[in-house]
Amino acid sequence: MSVPSDLRLGDVFSGMDLAEVVFGPLERADIVRYAGAAGDFNPIHLDDAYARGAGAPTAFAMGMLPAGYLAHAVSDWFGGPQHLRRFRVRFLTRVWPGDEIVCSGRVDEIEGRLVRVRFEADRRGPGPRELELPEREPAISGDADVEPPA
Amino acid sequence: MAEAVIVFELPVERGKVREFALAVAEDNPIHYDADEARRRGLPDIVAPPTFTVTQMWQVPREERERRLGANLAYERVLHGEQEFFYRRLPVAGEVLTGRMRIASDVTKRGRRGGAMRVVTYESVFSDASGDEVVRALYTLMELPPS
Repeated sequence: MSVPSDLRLGDVFSGMDLAEVVFGPLERADIVRYAGAAGDFNPIHLDDAYARGAGAPTAFAMGMLPAGYLAHAVSDWFGGPQHLRRFRVRFLTRVWPGDEIVCSGRVDEIEGRLVRVRFEADRRGPGPRELELPEREPAISGDADVEPPA
Repeated sequence: MAEAVIVFELPVERGKVREFALAVAEDNPIHYDADEARRRGLPDIVAPPTFTVTQMWQVPREERERRLGANLAYERVLHGEQEFFYRRLPVAGEVLTGRMRIASDVTKRGRRGGAMRVVTYESVFSDASGDEVVRALYTLMELPPS
């Protein structure tokens, strides 16, 4: 179980590395659970035959699932999600069943009470054999503005 | 005839907050335990930061497409980017009002040649007093036909 850290504004400096957080490995059930929770029933995430018809070897995760893990990691770095002011993600590649999601980040700059963070989520795992993917690659990059407690 | 804005309700139901929090592997008690949330200065349990994506339950893709009329070829569409701006987190029990529109629709040259269309939907969620709570930008990329 992860525990929100007690990082306060005074503890933070630019260039500071934030502790790596790992989620997964992603199971099919995690994708189904997220589909139901979010209301995202795009069959490309749920149905292998449909995914193959669309040119993917198997169904793959909706980007907002690992993005949700990232929001969780960023929130925990700074004492909880109530301190987030902005959160942005860019999707770089697909995330597959069996992948672990490795979240890492660093403090970019501090402006007054606002801390800007840059972060990544890497997918780590074999991926579908046909694609011959690297064992680990960036799947999401992003940045956030956080207002940690003083 | 396309509409400029879709107005809809987003109820922040207690069970839905819990269900969504579990789906993104949240273990922070402020999403599950009202007493713990109050101990941390919050009025009740709060929704995780990406919770407003549950707007898909209120306005599914087909309805959004029919009413806003972006006319995207979904077999070539990827989710490119997502951004949220927070005044505060949604609190269990409240009903937010969402206003969704197409904020931008531009065509760029794709990396592999051909025109790539980039459409950003903006949803602004406000509370019962009319104050903004969360603003979400959802950006889709339509790749050129292969």
